[in-house]
Amino acid sequence: MRTPESEAQLKAWMLDGLDGDSTAHAALLRALVPLLKSFYRRRLHGTEEDVQDLVQETLISVHTRRASYDRDRPFTAWLYAVARYRMIDHFRRQKVSVPIEDVDDILLAEGFEEAVSARMDVDTLLDTLSPKQARAIRDTHIEGKSIAEAAVGAGIGESDVKISVHRGFKAIVDRMRDSWR
Amino acid sequence: MEMNTQQLIETLSKDVPRVAPHAPARRIGIGITAGGFVTAVLVAAVLGIRPDLRAAMHGFSFWMKWAYTISLGVGAGYIVAQLARPTSGSLRGLWVLLIPVLILMGIGIGELARTPSANWLAMWRGQSWMICPWLVLTLAMPIFVGLLWSFRQFAPTRLRAAGASAGLAAGAWAAAIYCLHCPEASATFVLTWYTLGIVAAAGAGALLGPRLMRW
Repeated sequence: MRTPESEAQLKAWMLDGLDGDSTAHAALLRALVPLLKSFYRRRLHGTEEDVQDLVQETLISVHTRRASYDRDRPFTAWLYAVARYRMIDHFRRQKVSVPIEDVDDILLAEGFEEAVSARMDVDTLLDTLSPKQARAIRDTHIEGKSIAEAAVGAGIGESDVKISVHRGFKAIVDRMRDSWR
Repeated sequence: MEMNTQQLIETLSKDVPRVAPHAPARRIGIGITAGGFVTAVLVAAVLGIRPDLRAAMHGFSFWMKWAYTISLGVGAGYIVAQLARPTSGSLRGLWVLLIPVLILMGIGIGELARTPSANWLAMWRGQSWMICPWLVLTLAMPIFVGLLWSFRQFAPTRLRAAGASAGLAAGAWAAAIYCLHCPEASATFVLTWYTLGIVAAAGAGALLGPRLMRW
């Protein structure tokens, strides 16, 4: 299932745009507007005007700096890194004295840092699982497929998909708990 | 969606050039090559190519200097490419830059062992130790400018690190081009004075990055 906000759909539009497809590029930018709006609304205690300015500046950055996107990496991680830079630059230009610790607080409070690094680390973590578990998690929790779709795609039963997801997550949680000790 | 956001998107979508998959690497290559061309012209016109270049190219020390500076230049270029992206992550490859330094250290130790200790100071200083780091730093400038051009389409978020890596790459490639002029042959000389110039270029890049690489 491809909702307009899904990583798969956004990335597909981005890749087509990089290949010169201006329709896909426009579709991408349109889909980014609500995402960026909620991103900035949650972090900015400013006016709606500030949010709109930032959204537009970020759209321009996405457009002019698109060569810096690595086709092999998740699109949303790249997008939010750009959005985060635009926000810090916005604070700097407004000379709002947000101490750097507070900026970190704003970002951390939103779980943004984790969200992005999680996306970056997802592949590393999934690589530690069995191929079946990794595929089940990738299909159902990253690609956004239903259990039934994932089962058909992998050629296994639905309960097998559910069990693979469950065991895979448990293995990941155990591993992370160990690494934090 | 507000009207002007809609208009903005329409305007931006009028100009959607194709971006080749490895466009950043190519752009970095073009920046370094264009700057390096200016540096080479400066070396040839102002400093002069060493008259014994042809003979020197049959010797060990010329290739030692090129291997050292070019491997640093390639490694630094790789770091530049990582920092050109907003999601640069951890710079795990950084330690690779130590390999040429360690190899040159090994050669330097062998050289010292073969040289009477009374001659060590003269060998280490060569004829040009006072000026060599400054020349490398100066010759790095055109390459650094070339890399600033490359960055105009990039999205660095760690500007100081991006500036330092661009300075390092510029310094290393400048040193490689400077080899066309510099007649010094000792490993200890290159390890000290070339490296000093390259590190100075990296430091200058770290100072300039936050100002010049903002976007």
